[in-house]
Amino acid sequence: MNLQLIVEQMLNGMVLGSMYALVASGLTLIWGTMKMLNFAHGELYMIGGYVLYFAFLLFGVHPLWGILLAMLIAFALGVLMERSILRPLLDKPGWDVSPIVATLGVSIFLQNFALKVWGERFKNVPYFIEGTLEFLGFRIAYQRILILVAAAAVMIGFWIYVKRSRFGMALRATAQDREAATILGINSHRIYLMTFGISSALAALAATMLAPLFLVNPWMGIPPQLKAFIVVVLGGLGSFGGAILGGFLLGSIESLAIVFLSSEWKDVAAFLVLIGFLVFKPAGFFGTKEW
Amino acid sequence: MLEINNIDVFYGDAQALWDVSFTVKGGEIVTLLGANGAGKSTTLRTISGLLKPKKGTVSLSGVRLDRIEPYQIILHGLSHVPEGRRLFPNMTVWENLSVGAYIPPAWKDRSGAMEEMMEVFPILKERRDQLAGTLSGGEQQMCAIARAMVSRPQVLLLDEPSLGLAPVIVERIFEVIKRINQKGVTVLLVEQNAHIALQIAHRGYVIETGHVVMEGEANRLSQDEYIKQAYLGL
Repeated sequence: MNLQLIVEQMLNGMVLGSMYALVASGLTLIWGTMKMLNFAHGELYMIGGYVLYFAFLLFGVHPLWGILLAMLIAFALGVLMERSILRPLLDKPGWDVSPIVATLGVSIFLQNFALKVWGERFKNVPYFIEGTLEFLGFRIAYQRILILVAAAAVMIGFWIYVKRSRFGMALRATAQDREAATILGINSHRIYLMTFGISSALAALAATMLAPLFLVNPWMGIPPQLKAFIVVVLGGLGSFGGAILGGFLLGSIESLAIVFLSSEWKDVAAFLVLIGFLVFKPAGFFGTKEW
Repeated sequence: MLEINNIDVFYGDAQALWDVSFTVKGGEIVTLLGANGAGKSTTLRTISGLLKPKKGTVSLSGVRLDRIEPYQIILHGLSHVPEGRRLFPNMTVWENLSVGAYIPPAWKDRSGAMEEMMEVFPILKERRDQLAGTLSGGEQQMCAIARAMVSRPQVLLLDEPSLGLAPVIVERIFEVIKRINQKGVTVLLVEQNAHIALQIAHRGYVIETGHVVMEGEANRLSQDEYIKQAYLGL
């Protein structure tokens, strides 16, 4: 074991962590605004992967267009899901859990839909850019650098948007006090719709970036969804900064586990950290209210 | 200007208002007096669309407020300062005011309106970048009123602005309410503190267990024997 391996693994951990952060920020966005969990988040991620694959396979488009198309379709699906399945359940007194259960139903449906329609064979997506950066003896694939840069750019952009724009203000206001937001003229249903759309688009973005590394298949959404739940707990439910910090933390822990133990141990390490947080710091880094 | 006609309002199966009617004319300060649980807040919440009347109508300058979505009501020039201020605790004072200017006509020249409100409440200028959740009760009430005013409403609903505040602060806030009214804003004021409410109001209505039981000019109400006993503690 040498220093070079550790640094390279740490870098890989950061890459993976940035994707965890992206997937988790969608979950935390939904929790922060609507106080609900979305179990179909991983499947919206999966759909993103398939869209990219088909865009490549059928049309041979530039990856950038494939990514945008995947985000757009995921956005539309998220909106459709909120409007048709969740909205009728959201405001029913005494039906608090039913929207969450409904998302579980959507998740099962989408997995089996993908299995039935697109088959169980794993699909290969080529790297967007070939080649490896060599720097001071360290090696990292350009694809991974691209992932890091894209994740950072999207998250910073989104953060500024939420902090500064009119829509961002309305989103945070709705998250903090829906009724007070309503009397100030904010249509909370529209905010919820956008929340689901944006959250799904972020998941699809992560899927497209990772598709060349992990192959596209009907179950590809399950691991990132589980990891995103861990990240959300680490960071604090509903906290955007927490999702980012938690994502990088989890990615680093997993890659260190690979270096020092073996790759079979990485999930063990991840869930041990989760259990540790649940026992010693259940509110996560930033507690539950940050929007 | 604001007309409430024979409204019945329910929470689930429990009726909270029975056949409540009253009017607020343009330029007035009208106060709704009543004890805890009499239905004052319910009335305001019905006017701003958070509750829908089962029977009766609410209209503002001829527009049926009970027929439109609650988030559209502010577009018709009616702004509501809810009970307990209901600020956005993790947003700064400035951000809270910005949300107050969310509707498109107000958003355009929001900085002007926000600066104006900071002139009215200088303390808010000092607290501009502080999170609203960390303000004192009086500052929160001022911030809530300012937030409701940046959309430049014609009618302002105020729900218990004096609640939990020191008498000095209450006086300051009521002075501002009076000044806001003198600038042409119609005010509907719900208060448990009948004493101070009747000082600034032109007219008042008394609500008891969901019924309007009395109405009149403010100075007449404050002379009334029953009001003196039941609400002014004299």
